[in-house]
Amino acid sequence: MKFLNGKNVQTIVIVLAVAGLLFLALSGYLTPVFNLTLNPLVSFESWMSIRYLSARDFLTAPRDVTQLREQNAILESQVTQLQTQLIQMEEQLGEADICFALLDFGRTNPQYEYVTATVIGREISPFLQYIIIDKGSDDGVQYGMPVVTQQGLVGTVDAVIAAASRVKLITDSTSVVNVLLQTADVEAQSYGSLTGDVSLDMIPLDSLVEPGDVVLTSGLGGNYPPNIFVGQVLSAQKRDNALFQTASVQPIVDFESINAVLVIMNFEAVDISPLVPE
Amino acid sequence: MLAHLVCAISLLVAYVLQTTIVSQTPLVNGTADLILLFFAAWALNERVQNSWLWAFIGGLMISMLSAMPFYVPLIGYLGVVGIAKLLRRRVWQAPILAMFIVTLLSTLFQQFIYVVALQVNGAPIAWGQALDAVIFPSVLLNLIFALPMFALVNDLVGRIYPLEVEA
Repeated sequence: MKFLNGKNVQTIVIVLAVAGLLFLALSGYLTPVFNLTLNPLVSFESWMSIRYLSARDFLTAPRDVTQLREQNAILESQVTQLQTQLIQMEEQLGEADICFALLDFGRTNPQYEYVTATVIGREISPFLQYIIIDKGSDDGVQYGMPVVTQQGLVGTVDAVIAAASRVKLITDSTSVVNVLLQTADVEAQSYGSLTGDVSLDMIPLDSLVEPGDVVLTSGLGGNYPPNIFVGQVLSAQKRDNALFQTASVQPIVDFESINAVLVIMNFEAVDISPLVPE
Repeated sequence: MLAHLVCAISLLVAYVLQTTIVSQTPLVNGTADLILLFFAAWALNERVQNSWLWAFIGGLMISMLSAMPFYVPLIGYLGVVGIAKLLRRRVWQAPILAMFIVTLLSTLFQQFIYVVALQVNGAPIAWGQALDAVIFPSVLLNLIFALPMFALVNDLVGRIYPLEVEA
């Protein structure tokens, strides 16, 4: 019975106690006890962890935000610069397109000498259809010179100063242009209006005018050179008691968005007003 | 002296803005008239003394630059100042209301003068079309721009002629 001495009994008791506790724990009997003791621990651990992480973020994050803000500012600056460059290049591209188109018109009409001008303003009064261009008498522009674009007829120079000129558009209510209806091969007159619409008058009644007919300058009267594109007929009107037909015209030039024009330099307008009987 | 300088510069700025931007953004066929609005707001201000002089100079300047018959813008802008001076005494308690009334009346007056002058010079302008396409849209645009112009000119005048504080 030497085996059952005090020390061994103590060991056996401890082993049995541990085994018993393990058995109780594995069988779930100790869960309330664990909850009671571990939950506060976990809660405290969680609380501590959150505070630590917060403190760490507080100490480290500002440095990152500052760096990010600096990088963001640099990138935004670069984006702004690139956008500015893009806008400038688009503008240059647009100007180049206009110049190429005007050059193309000049090549197809080599009999005339041109000066290219930029539209810098419009008439103050809304009743009048005039534009202001950046070429004047210093560049050889004179009163009465015809003004065109690559598309067709714009108008005529109405007033000139040293560095600018005022151009009366064919859409102005006082503009009259002698024109030729190409398909019908008849001459007529185009009139502007208050609203900027262009119409034809003085078309003989026996002429067949149809939508789509091309309208060109006839050169009659000496104000404009012949065969410059004016527009196309939209519709023709024939009244019962009228002496002539009338027609609406869609101008080929978009006068709302006109940016650059060509002034025909070697065409001298003929003033036939002394020959017109009063 | 400063008032003359400011008025001249303001007129130049208004003219450039008018020909480059405002005249290129019409409503139907009507456009706002910044110079008219400037004169209206300028003349409505009691502290301003030189409105007749600058209406005359501005009218002459616009007459030379515009394709309208020579005397027409001059009469138009002098009329604007006249209407403003006339209403300034009658509607003195509500200057913003006065600005709107002056804008309305002076725009109608100016456009009426323009149409008559163009008709006299042979332009085939019908009154109905002029009213629908130009005059009414112009009145509307001028009324829209009247308030900011009034505030701007008032601020300008306040800087040129500071109010005297009684001791």
